[in-house]
Amino acid sequence: MSGFAIETNQLTKDYGDGRGCHGVTLTIREGEAFGFLGPNGAGKSTIVKMLTGLIKPTSGKAQIYGHASGTIEARRRLGYLPELFRYPDWLTGEEVLAFHAKLCELDKGAAKRRIQQLLDEVGIGSRGRDRLKGYSKGMQQRLGLACALLGDPDIVFLDEPASALDPVGRYEVRELLARLRGQGKTIFLNSHLLEDVEQLCDKVALLNNGQVLLEGKVCEVLRQQSIWRLRVNGYTPLAAERIHLMLGTAAAVSETEAGDGTVWIELELEDDEQIGLINYLLIELGMTIYEVGKTQSRLDEWFMQAVTGLEHRGERR
Amino acid sequence: MIAVWGLTWKELIRKRVTLMTLIMTILFWIAYWFLAGAIAGGEVHVVTSLGLLENFTRSAMILTLGFFFGAFAVAFLAIFSSVAAITGEAETGVLQSVLARPIKRWKWFMGRWLGFVSYVAIYASLLYVSLHVICWIHTGVFFRLEALLPSLGLFLAVIPLLVSLTMVGSCYISPLGNGIWMTMLYGMGWLGSMIGRFMATGRLHINGMETLETLTGLIKLAMPADALQQRMLSELFSISELSGLYDLNSELSFFSVNGAASNSLLLYSAVYVAALLAAGLLIMRRKDF
Repeated sequence: MSGFAIETNQLTKDYGDGRGCHGVTLTIREGEAFGFLGPNGAGKSTIVKMLTGLIKPTSGKAQIYGHASGTIEARRRLGYLPELFRYPDWLTGEEVLAFHAKLCELDKGAAKRRIQQLLDEVGIGSRGRDRLKGYSKGMQQRLGLACALLGDPDIVFLDEPASALDPVGRYEVRELLARLRGQGKTIFLNSHLLEDVEQLCDKVALLNNGQVLLEGKVCEVLRQQSIWRLRVNGYTPLAAERIHLMLGTAAAVSETEAGDGTVWIELELEDDEQIGLINYLLIELGMTIYEVGKTQSRLDEWFMQAVTGLEHRGERR
Repeated sequence: MIAVWGLTWKELIRKRVTLMTLIMTILFWIAYWFLAGAIAGGEVHVVTSLGLLENFTRSAMILTLGFFFGAFAVAFLAIFSSVAAITGEAETGVLQSVLARPIKRWKWFMGRWLGFVSYVAIYASLLYVSLHVICWIHTGVFFRLEALLPSLGLFLAVIPLLVSLTMVGSCYISPLGNGIWMTMLYGMGWLGSMIGRFMATGRLHINGMETLETLTGLIKLAMPADALQQRMLSELFSISELSGLYDLNSELSFFSVNGAASNSLLLYSAVYVAALLAAGLLIMRRKDF
């Protein structure tokens, strides 16, 4: 065994109209949580579909746990939550899972236990006995997640798993995925929710116009400086000098008037612990601090920096 | 495959296809009961004074009318139950979650095909028996088993043909487009067969008869459903055995059993269905979802 859950080599899908993806080479280790990022129309779903065997590559190769993607052996190892799906509304949640259990070749007793366990785990519980026409979009999403996990797969492909969920649902899904990662499952997460990717994934790749633009471990990506904003009263230019003296020349400071006599200070820090020192310093200089916060998720920042100025075909007319 | 077959049945039952079909069939049975009573009790102009032939003619009229409706009911049930089999499922994302499972694609296709065909076949068999029972109650004529079984087989033969054609269409066309396409194709087949029947009775005299014959022949090849239906009635009424003894067709007038499928067309139809099924399986295997 190579130790890789996913290996792709120059994977290409050419739809003939510029869409698809070109020469994608990725390796994801067993037990790794991988975040796949990219603007709309970048080709993320195309790659997921090739890996799950739903579409055939024009050229290149993909392997799931050493088996060519699309083969029965490869599909036995995976669970998949599609981006856009709607299960038949004339079935109950339990019936959908029971049908998928048959397709996963689970025996009846094991399927029954697994279905009940998963319904509880995704928060559907006894509503699994209701027909799907009474399900909200969020409940459908939870059911889809249960479906993806039904066969106890080694790798789970999740295409926007939290897209229809409220904040509580999002949190629950994140917790569930963290548990899966703890169990040694490989997770392939295709999501626009960068905060989730940042918290869950070991590795990320950024796709744009069908090509992998950047790839790396999340910890490396996050080594970038982070930006903090503080709203203070009584700000003087002396404060900027003192901050530079305290943090060294690497610290970038900028300020803007908030309009109510207070000033917004923006600081680019090397690590989060420095914000405590800044707080101390500003209070010592006689300023009042009203607000302190990070401007945005760091992966957001990384993503924005990577794609700003690039042309995205998903937005082309 | 069995799981997919079962799911197809569940779908047809839960989506109230069964309920609506049963309601419409009961309404038809009521109308058919009165119609059969009227024909059985009314005066029929038969060229012979033999009571047996008179009764036979009455029952032939009743059954021809019954199967005229029956053919449409079975055809539309076959078409509209399978119209969204592939693209419809793909549009809702159901197919994507299923085909990522360790199941061979041909098994999904065959499971759906068997589900639709078996479901409509059971309905068609019940309809077939009910039409005969109503006719028998009113006329006292019960057909020989040697005639009933082949004609039932031919009545059912239309189902795999229509389901296969519809499912192949559903690999490419959206459910709405596929429904329209199949209805028009079926209608064209029926019209072609009707024109053929008129031509055979010599009631149609127009210029370019040869072109028209070629055209109806081509339509028959694309949609042999009505030709199979005509052959079904021909087998039931033993038209070939009565040839030279009694001209039932002149009594049936507009509903005469002309243009029945020849043995060659029967063989062609079987090959056609097998080819459509093979094409469907191949398309399903190669298609991107």
